[in-house]
Amino acid sequence: MKWMLFGPETGIFLAAFFFLILSMWRKPNPARDHMYALVLSALGVAVSLACVGAEGFLFSGTYRLDLFSQVFKVALASGLFLIVCLCASLEEIKKRYRQEFYFFLFVCTLAMMLLVSAQHLLTILLALELSSYSLYLLVTLRRNEDMGLEAGIKYFLTGIFASSIMIFGMALLYGATQAVYLQDLAQVMPELMNSPAAVIGMLLIFGGFFFKLAVYPFHIWVADTYQGAPDQVTAYIATASKVAVIAIVLRVISAVDQNSAYLVHVLAVLSITSMTLGNLAAITQKDMKRLLGYSTIAHSGYVLIGILSVGTAGYASAVFYALALLVMKFTVFLVVVVVSPRGRNLEIEELAGLHRRSPLLALALMVSVFSLAGIPPTVGFAGKFFVFMAAMDKGLFVLVLIAMVNVVVSLYYYLLVIKAAYLNVPRETLPPVHLSHPMRCLTGSLIATMVVVGFYPTPLIQLSEAMARSLM
Amino acid sequence: MIPFWAQDATHAMALLSTLMPLVAFLAIMLGTRSKEKLSAGLSIGAVAVSFGCSFLLLFRLWNLREPLEYSTRWVALNTVEIPFGFLLDPVSLLMLCIVTLICLLVQVYSLGYMAGDPGFSRYYAFMSLFAWAMTSLVLSPTLLQLFIFWELVGLSSYLLIGFWYEKFSATQAGKKAFVMTRAGDVSFLLGLILVLVYAGNLSIVEMNSPGFAGLMPSTMVTFAALLIFGGIVGKSAQFPLLTWLPDAMEGPTPVSALLHSATMVAAGVYLFARLFPFFTLSPAAMGIILFIGTVSMLLAATMAMVARDIKQVWAYSTISQLGFMIMGLAAGGYFAGVFHLTTHAGFKALLFLCSGVLIHTFHTNDLFELAKGGVRRLKIPMVALAVAAGALAGLPPFSGFFSKEAILAVLALSSNPIWLGAGFLGAFLTAYYAFRVIFILLFPPQTATESSDQLSGLPSAPKPSHHEGSSMTLIWPLIILASFTLLLGFLQGPLENFLVKEDKHVLLSHGVLGAWLPFIALFFALAGAGLAWVEFGRQGARQVGFAERVPFFRDLFSQRWYLDHFYRFFVDRVVDRGFSRLFAQNDNRVIDGSIDAMSRGTLETSRFLAFLQSGMIQYRLLASFAVMVLLSLYFFF
Repeated sequence: MKWMLFGPETGIFLAAFFFLILSMWRKPNPARDHMYALVLSALGVAVSLACVGAEGFLFSGTYRLDLFSQVFKVALASGLFLIVCLCASLEEIKKRYRQEFYFFLFVCTLAMMLLVSAQHLLTILLALELSSYSLYLLVTLRRNEDMGLEAGIKYFLTGIFASSIMIFGMALLYGATQAVYLQDLAQVMPELMNSPAAVIGMLLIFGGFFFKLAVYPFHIWVADTYQGAPDQVTAYIATASKVAVIAIVLRVISAVDQNSAYLVHVLAVLSITSMTLGNLAAITQKDMKRLLGYSTIAHSGYVLIGILSVGTAGYASAVFYALALLVMKFTVFLVVVVVSPRGRNLEIEELAGLHRRSPLLALALMVSVFSLAGIPPTVGFAGKFFVFMAAMDKGLFVLVLIAMVNVVVSLYYYLLVIKAAYLNVPRETLPPVHLSHPMRCLTGSLIATMVVVGFYPTPLIQLSEAMARSLM
Repeated sequence: MIPFWAQDATHAMALLSTLMPLVAFLAIMLGTRSKEKLSAGLSIGAVAVSFGCSFLLLFRLWNLREPLEYSTRWVALNTVEIPFGFLLDPVSLLMLCIVTLICLLVQVYSLGYMAGDPGFSRYYAFMSLFAWAMTSLVLSPTLLQLFIFWELVGLSSYLLIGFWYEKFSATQAGKKAFVMTRAGDVSFLLGLILVLVYAGNLSIVEMNSPGFAGLMPSTMVTFAALLIFGGIVGKSAQFPLLTWLPDAMEGPTPVSALLHSATMVAAGVYLFARLFPFFTLSPAAMGIILFIGTVSMLLAATMAMVARDIKQVWAYSTISQLGFMIMGLAAGGYFAGVFHLTTHAGFKALLFLCSGVLIHTFHTNDLFELAKGGVRRLKIPMVALAVAAGALAGLPPFSGFFSKEAILAVLALSSNPIWLGAGFLGAFLTAYYAFRVIFILLFPPQTATESSDQLSGLPSAPKPSHHEGSSMTLIWPLIILASFTLLLGFLQGPLENFLVKEDKHVLLSHGVLGAWLPFIALFFALAGAGLAWVEFGRQGARQVGFAERVPFFRDLFSQRWYLDHFYRFFVDRVVDRGFSRLFAQNDNRVIDGSIDAMSRGTLETSRFLAFLQSGMIQYRLLASFAVMVLLSLYFFF
């Protein structure tokens, strides 16, 4: 039964279809819809977990199942589930669009699941576009239409621009190699490392990924889109979407890159520019989501260090970092979603007094921000440590040094956030934040995950290494 | 690979005995801080489980031949591997039992002592933190793990000394303890790094194995041993880092009993015993250590002779006794040192807990005030105090007699008689100050008792706040510890068999003095006690010690040989005005200046970048495209 291998995708597809039908036949009922979404996304996690062992090829070799793809599918399904947990009150989205909101969310997750397994250039392109188009629509769903529309259009324009560059790259690559399957590319690329068409084609294909990953020079949408999109959508873009793209970048680069000095240099330049630009621009931000947008750019820079340290160690560190990002970014957004005032974005100043309004949320914010900043003993520290170790093994000392300087710069704005939550005196006393019991449990377990994995990362490292090996 | 899963029953018990207090600590800090009874119950329950497990372990492994090691990888990278686990051998099992037993008794005792304190739950949380750190320290298989818990123990000590943080002197004492022990820890860490450089790992079993001498040149062994001993000096408050311990008595009395006498300060001596074979590789280091132990023992004993604060007396005596243990170990008496560590833990905890009852009842630490208040009416605590003082003084049949005699026997074997002489002098001084306290408390001057009887109706006289007997939670631990003090000495034989499996340390003779040694030791102890009787006990005694009559000695001893003055002078003149000034100037002008310039630059860049972001989308896309073109062109260079 080969179709069993396709379980997670089928499950998410059926769920998306269910919401499509629901939106056509039934009047919106937020509480009921949210419950459906919770149940369906939880089922999605369960099915993905059940399919972790699957291996093989589907659809005449265009679709590959291995440990790498299956674990990433679990991560994506969990990301979806976590985001749905935040959708209890979708204040920011018009009531009549709420069913479509879930529909697009599930479709986007489906597309990303396809992406992490894609083995054919066209599959990659299709999956990438499907996920992008769902996101363009999700971004514009915001109740305050001006904000959402501006964000959506900037996102869309940058997106189609990046896609066109990517398609151009694919054309060049195909022209040079006559190959469209990644496994074929892996065989011919070593001889073509000096052919401009092949290598530049490669770079342009990465351009399309870099748009999604928010790497310089395709970062221009990030700040505006993060700011303008509904909080939950921003959270989704920052977590699940990043994880999926890191996965596909790893898959492509592991197939084609045979230690090309040119690619390493280019990626190093992009990585340095992204980190520096993201961290510097974040310092003066006042809007919390905008700040997180710039910090995302910086984190993409760190991930690139792992990716360009070609080899199992580098890939494993990138996988570890991607999974760590999922947890820590999500925790920050959980706080943002819960604390945000109605109808507008959360300013950093408005975090003042959070430790009195909700000690648990303040703690969650502190741990996750420490984790993003890379302070031990959190998972973020472990992630940065392994990325830097992998780069050091490759002899990229200067790159690591620059990254370290960047980490120090980033501490400034991260600590400002914590200072706001713990030390600043609020201008007006706000009522305590109410958290439902399931949300309390979720927050607590996220905090525990970040700290425990930070203390004892060995199992996750072993998993990442196994995943990186299955790529080869 | 499931790392924390127990491999067998022994491993499970070791896990339970170390991790239960951690669970209690987390539960109290996270959940039950507002519920005092529940917090105390959790903490006591947890430490009771660890106590039970550690005794089961002791019985299970009584006939253990080889050290039993369980370890799991904590962090594993390509080349770096940091193991974590347990090392079970006789000395660690014995220490584990001592620690958990005293933790349990002290926590039960604290139920009564700390009742009504606003920080009750916090107190139990810190106690659990300490119990976790200490038990894990004791069972550490590598020096790295030991060092981590060593620092955690230091942290919990700091938290508990400054427990009454609203009191200025308490926070000062906490800080002093932390800083002075840190000074020792730096040396310890350097020693660890030195060993790591030569040996490649920090496994205790490997450091103690006979093959270790081949890994390091002998001068380096001496150097590393002395650096590690620096840590011991800090933790066990030996000369010259000894002045923090008396100040640490600012904490609650049960804390002083647990941390600053019976267990935590003994961690230094424990480490010495743990690495005993390693230290024996360097006779030169052992000589220096013997000297430092002796100096600490005598210095602290003289300080104890003139102190008026009852807790201060026991604090000095702790330093002195730890010095005595180190002398025993350094002279080659592995069993003697560990045995004295064991007995000392019992009777010193008893001394503090008894004093705690007195202080709790009369609200004063001053010996003479206590005597005036009429402490002699508290029967059980006074009897227990006398038993413990007897043990401290080394009188038979109390446990202290046996262990002291064991150490003196080792000292008698050394070629230089000066160490034995110092030992006898120490025994004399110890008996003197121990019985000085007892006699002052038991026989207040006649006039004072009369006046207190006459004034008993007046509010100014210190009056007992509780009725005699206090609460039973205060008394029971005293009775248990007193019975231990009585019995432990007779277990010398079995314990020696347990600790020293081979017969290599058995003493064949008692050196020059032969079988007379115990009697000579007893003579010195009795002489000390007798002198105390003449000066403090007999009818009409002036209650002024011989040292107090000479102003020079009185000042010297009560000012702790001016060690604190010396530190202050040193810190003021050399560190503050010398180094710090230079560094401060460098800091202000060079570093701050450049950092300010840099951060201004960073902020400006940030504003500029943010400004760039707000441009029109088509120009930004154009810029992106240009960058991609440039990057592609780079291929041709």
